[in-house]
Amino acid sequence: MAAAGPGPRPCPSRPPPPRRYVLCEVVSEDPRCRQCIEDRAVGLAVREAIARAHGDYGLACCCVSFTVKYLNAYTGTVLLRCRKDFYRLLCSALPLVRQLESRNQRYPCYFNTLHVGGTIRTCQKFLIQYNRRQLLMLLQNCTNEEERRSIRQSVLSCSLTEEQSQSGDEEDDDDTETD
Amino acid sequence: MSGAREKKRAKKMRNQPASVTLPAEPGPFPAGGSRACPPPGDVRSEGLLQYQQQKFLHQSPGTSYRKDQYFPKGQNRGGRGRGRGGWQGGCQSASEEMPKYITASTFAQARAAEINAMLKAVAQKSSNSLVFQTLPRHMRRRAMSHSIKRLPRRLHEIARKEAEKAVHQKKEQSKTKCRKARRRHINLVAEFNRRQRKNIWLETHIWHAKRFHMIKKWGYCLADRPTEKSYRACYRAMTKHCLLQDLSYYCCLELNGEENELLKQLARICSPDTGLMFGAEFCLSGRFEGSLNLYRADHYPEDMLGPVTFIWKPKDGSENRQLWIWMHPALKQDILNELKEIFQCSEPEEICIPEPFTTLIQEEKQTDVAVSLGKKRKKEDKDGEKAVPVKKIIGDGTRDPLQPYSWTSPATGIVISDQSMEILRYRLIGPLSHSVLTETLKAAALQTEMADSETELNNWWVENCKDSEKVSLHQQQTAIFELLEGISSPAEVPAGTILGLTVGDPRVNLPKKKTKAMPDPEKYRDYDKVRQLFLEGVPVGCAHSFIWDHDICKNVTENKISEQDLNHMRGQLLVPGSQLDLGPCESKIPVLLVQQPGKMAGEDRPGWGSGWDICLPKGWGMAFWIPFIYRGVRVGGLQESLKHSEYKRTPHTPNDYPDCPAGIQFAKELENSLLEKFKRRPPAKRANYVKLGTLSPFLCPWGQLTKNWEERLKASGEFVCPSFPHTESCATKGQSLCDPKPEVVKEASPETGEVEQTMEISSEGALMTEDVAGTQGFGEGDETMTRSIFIVLRSEKLLMQLSAWCYPTSGKDRRDRLVSRLGQKEMTEHALLPILMSYPRAIVWVNLSLLRKGNPELHAMICIPTEEDFLHLSKDQLFCGPQEPKHCDIFKHKIQKLKRKKKKKEEEEEDVKALESDPPGISDKEITEEHKDLILGLWSDPLPDVTSHCSRTLLGYVTRGDFSLAAGCGEALGFVSLTGLLHMLHRQPTDKKGLVLLRTPASLQYRFARLNIEV
Repeated sequence: MAAAGPGPRPCPSRPPPPRRYVLCEVVSEDPRCRQCIEDRAVGLAVREAIARAHGDYGLACCCVSFTVKYLNAYTGTVLLRCRKDFYRLLCSALPLVRQLESRNQRYPCYFNTLHVGGTIRTCQKFLIQYNRRQLLMLLQNCTNEEERRSIRQSVLSCSLTEEQSQSGDEEDDDDTETD
Repeated sequence: MSGAREKKRAKKMRNQPASVTLPAEPGPFPAGGSRACPPPGDVRSEGLLQYQQQKFLHQSPGTSYRKDQYFPKGQNRGGRGRGRGGWQGGCQSASEEMPKYITASTFAQARAAEINAMLKAVAQKSSNSLVFQTLPRHMRRRAMSHSIKRLPRRLHEIARKEAEKAVHQKKEQSKTKCRKARRRHINLVAEFNRRQRKNIWLETHIWHAKRFHMIKKWGYCLADRPTEKSYRACYRAMTKHCLLQDLSYYCCLELNGEENELLKQLARICSPDTGLMFGAEFCLSGRFEGSLNLYRADHYPEDMLGPVTFIWKPKDGSENRQLWIWMHPALKQDILNELKEIFQCSEPEEICIPEPFTTLIQEEKQTDVAVSLGKKRKKEDKDGEKAVPVKKIIGDGTRDPLQPYSWTSPATGIVISDQSMEILRYRLIGPLSHSVLTETLKAAALQTEMADSETELNNWWVENCKDSEKVSLHQQQTAIFELLEGISSPAEVPAGTILGLTVGDPRVNLPKKKTKAMPDPEKYRDYDKVRQLFLEGVPVGCAHSFIWDHDICKNVTENKISEQDLNHMRGQLLVPGSQLDLGPCESKIPVLLVQQPGKMAGEDRPGWGSGWDICLPKGWGMAFWIPFIYRGVRVGGLQESLKHSEYKRTPHTPNDYPDCPAGIQFAKELENSLLEKFKRRPPAKRANYVKLGTLSPFLCPWGQLTKNWEERLKASGEFVCPSFPHTESCATKGQSLCDPKPEVVKEASPETGEVEQTMEISSEGALMTEDVAGTQGFGEGDETMTRSIFIVLRSEKLLMQLSAWCYPTSGKDRRDRLVSRLGQKEMTEHALLPILMSYPRAIVWVNLSLLRKGNPELHAMICIPTEEDFLHLSKDQLFCGPQEPKHCDIFKHKIQKLKRKKKKKEEEEEDVKALESDPPGISDKEITEEHKDLILGLWSDPLPDVTSHCSRTLLGYVTRGDFSLAAGCGEALGFVSLTGLLHMLHRQPTDKKGLVLLRTPASLQYRFARLNIEV
């Protein structure tokens, strides 16, 4: 059950080693914490948490092919990747992250695991569903008429683009290809 | 990692959303972005905007805005209590008392933007696979790749895009017609005719193009080398069986006129010194082919035009004689102009010209076809162009019908006509070539009545057969041809023997399978007759052939039975596969067989590479080619003919004629191509010729070499009488010096006329060099005066003498014998002096064979070994050769400086470009700059003294060198300076005579080689 290959990138003839993607959310009391949400800071914080929870061995296991694949500072979404064999170590260590530190500032926060998926794609799909749910919840709970209007607008915007996405997005795509 | 992988990865990731982080400004958020939140109605645009921001992360223009925009949201989402000021100055200042409102809207906007980004990522397929490949297997349908409608509806759009892309990627179909139409015979012939307008195709072009690398050279499309691996196989064929070559690209000039007139003028362009003359008795009778070197009229030994071979038509009673001069196409224009000049043939003869050179074999047939089919097919065509029959081009397709191809002299009535491509010439090389010939060709049967009164087929032959004298001649020819079966090698027949013959259609007796033609020992009959053939050659009459008669040739060409008809007749045979007997319908073709002597000079492998040439009337190329192939011959291209001449150690046209215009042209082209090849490599990966001490790796500076040797000789004062003062004008002195020795003068007498000229020119050259004071570049000298600056020694007598002097005396009796046989003088100053005087700037064709290891290459340097080298060699038998000490690159510094300067200038130019945006002018400037540039690893022009640049004195250069399969060691052919050679021979010990050192341009190692001059 050891890692399939020692190198970070296996040779192209072999299929890639199985991986897991962990989608989580950074929750913090302090809005300035958002500044700290970046690749390096998040990675360091998670690694530190793993080291605390599982020691050197656990850290080494998890660090094979561990990266931050995506993050969004405005929504606090973070997508982490690690080997499938050791994602349990990662998941168990995530609640132990207590703070993010970057540029000599540190802010307390915690990680909320949303989803564990086998591909980035499933995580993205989950994220869409999740965000949509959040928006709907927001819409239901809102008390003010103007607020309701603006939220409805944003909900409509994202759902609308989904309808139009086929044409609009692909034109975008074509542009990038001609570059 | 490698760039390619990065790129691939980038392509894969381009649809993935990038991470979004806050701008990199530390510290607390600014209090109150003045234009914080966009109006709530503009959410969609904001979403797009955010997407863009995701794309261009951390880019300055967007940051401040985005920061302003998002800080309130973040603050609101995270903690209610703390940073209220964030949105205080927001556009919705009215909502200050209801913080939840703002919170919710920015929160929603961030979420919406993320949803958009994710949706985009999810909707795009990430892999490189096609759409239907991403479907699960149970949803796939067979026709999905062709028809979009087989796909699920939701994928239609993507699949349509994909299909369009695939069409774009496919090669644009240039041809409007479909393949079937293109391959239709008429269209195919039209296409072939179009393609051979620019470069002449040989008749075997299609056959060759399928099997050979073709190159365009000298206005022809020629086969260079076979695509299969056949280097050794071709050599084996040359030595053991038979190698076939299509030499139809050789040009034939026909001279027609009175014998005396012809000979009188032709004597001016050649010299008895170099061997044959046009008037040599055995050639004049038409029994033998001769070969000689042509010079500009009265210019011998300068202004070489090139080597030619010639055949006289046997005498037929009248005073008018016909003469064919065969030459390489590269030399044709020069020789033709010279001939026109000496015969004063300026008027184009008009009667001859209108004859259509594109003879139409199938013209009538095809027009018939066109008419019959035209109703069906052509009507649908846009325009009825059926009136134009498509004819296959036979002969020279590039000829302009308006241009004259034959010229006549008003004074003497001599006619020169350009017969190139009118007569085909195949060359069979190898000891069994006569077996191939005898098996393939069958003498024509006698025929007394016409097969069909309507056609002209064979009417000339019927006419001929009525004359009993001619019939007996034909029988005599046939008998001699059959005798050839009994000989063991073509080399046994006297060199250049010509045999005329009339043969039947060789396609008739085509064997069913390809077999190797072998001599039949049972046919070893008439030993006496064979011996008589060896000794006396072919009787006079037998050299006659009807191929000399243009009308007969034309008749034969036009009345060829087409391949299709022949196959049709074969199909109608009662017993399938039996011999086809055409009876009177069989064509009779006049041919000319010419024996090619093999290796004549030298002592080893006498007669190697001998064979037969066969001349055919045009139009019959493939009809003879295929039957030859079926006799197991191997076919070679230009490379093989080069190797053939290399193993024969003869100079090859035009590579090894540095003094004729074609040779100069060739050398220039070779230099350019080699230089291009050199420049294509990165500087660190190519040889630095400056460091290796190679002055000119791509070109042999013959002019510079001979000049330097002349100067050396003058400086050393060797071979010059002490009483003789050093002056510039040595011409007159040279003559006066020769005076006291009458016999010597006599020997040099043929050249005395020219001595003056050469001297004059050389003194001119000397003056020029003095003017420029040694800085004159060889490039300049090369361009302006190469033709006069040096000559190639071709005088047979002198060469013979040199050859004898080159022999070491280790086999003393042999040398003595040789010397006595050739009637040579011992090498003394008395013998050397006149040679040096009369040929101050001459080079000599030599061949070198390496003593031990080593593989000489093109432009390798021939150097004189020092005494230490000899000492070392005699001590250590395994001594390979000395090493050249490394030179230092004196140009490197300059080049680096230039580069720096150029860079600076480029930067300036870029600024200018940005201002003016005027690319063409700048590119021009760059080109000129590049031209001036020094190239790292090459000597830039004025070359220093080439002879003394390295540790060993330079003698000459190799023009062709390779491992010789025939000799089993490295062999090289090249030229050395005559002065240098004599200098070396004079000083070398008697048992080491002719030992030289060879060094390839890209190496420091010298190798010992033996120098030989074979005459």
